[in-house]
Amino acid sequence: MPIQVNRGVVGREYPPFSVTLERGKIKEFARAIGDLNPFYLDDEVGAASEWGDIIAPPTFAVTFRDERAGAGALLRDLGVDIARVLHGEQEVEIVRQLTPGETYLCRTKVVDIYEKTGKSGPMAFVIRETAITDRTNEIVATMRHITVVRL
Amino acid sequence: MKYAKVYFEDVKVGDELPPLVKGPIEQIQLTRYAGASGDFNPIHQDDEFARAAGMGGVFAHGMLSMGFVAQATTDWAGAGTVRKLGVRFAALVRLKDVVTCRGRVLAKSSKDDVNLVELEVWAENQRGEKVVTGRATVALASRA
Repeated sequence: MPIQVNRGVVGREYPPFSVTLERGKIKEFARAIGDLNPFYLDDEVGAASEWGDIIAPPTFAVTFRDERAGAGALLRDLGVDIARVLHGEQEVEIVRQLTPGETYLCRTKVVDIYEKTGKSGPMAFVIRETAITDRTNEIVATMRHITVVRL
Repeated sequence: MKYAKVYFEDVKVGDELPPLVKGPIEQIQLTRYAGASGDFNPIHQDDEFARAAGMGGVFAHGMLSMGFVAQATTDWAGAGTVRKLGVRFAALVRLKDVVTCRGRVLAKSSKDDVNLVELEVWAENQRGEKVVTGRATVALASRA
């Protein structure tokens, strides 16, 4: 018996949250991937670079999380257990590099839900977008996240 | 040479990125990635949980594989060059899998002093099955 997802979630905007980027988190993240690029890890290389500091790897913005706006909140709103979800697709657009000490504001909303039947059965695709802005309200990066729910 | 600078003029449509081989994937890397990313979904850590969920055992975070693809892109194009990266997670990456990331230049364009290169990027496992497929856009410096 397939489960239902709460389609009323489409259009929901989660509470904005701010993140101040820590130098150590950038390095921890790069090392966890095994990406030892000196522009992520070496403060001297960063200081001499066009950005004046180390920068975050392209996928770093996924670490910007908040309990009220993250996957946990989404799953509660959808009425879905975490054991049923898979990461379907992810897109990131980078306008400016993320650098340590900067404070960013993240706003996530659910933009669409659609259902499709694949070879493993019926699935719902939940699309969220997150806009990341800086202190001057300029857009720094955007993310598009597709969560697959096995119904 | 790794981290050599690539200039826009030197890139041709059809050029291939040097393959980046990652793995074999070990549980400790998934645990480490969970800590670094904040994604503590037990499906990547707890084999019993993953089996009960019908997934046949733990598998890697999709975002870890995307991170590998991003690394292959920046190893070639340089850190800070990625303007856009979009991927689909086509198959699960399991423990002991070896993931090879590849890419190919699809198109080049210049507008307002910004030189963009569009890439097809993907990752495959040791059986040659694609685990990630996607597109990347990088901005490269000009020799001019």
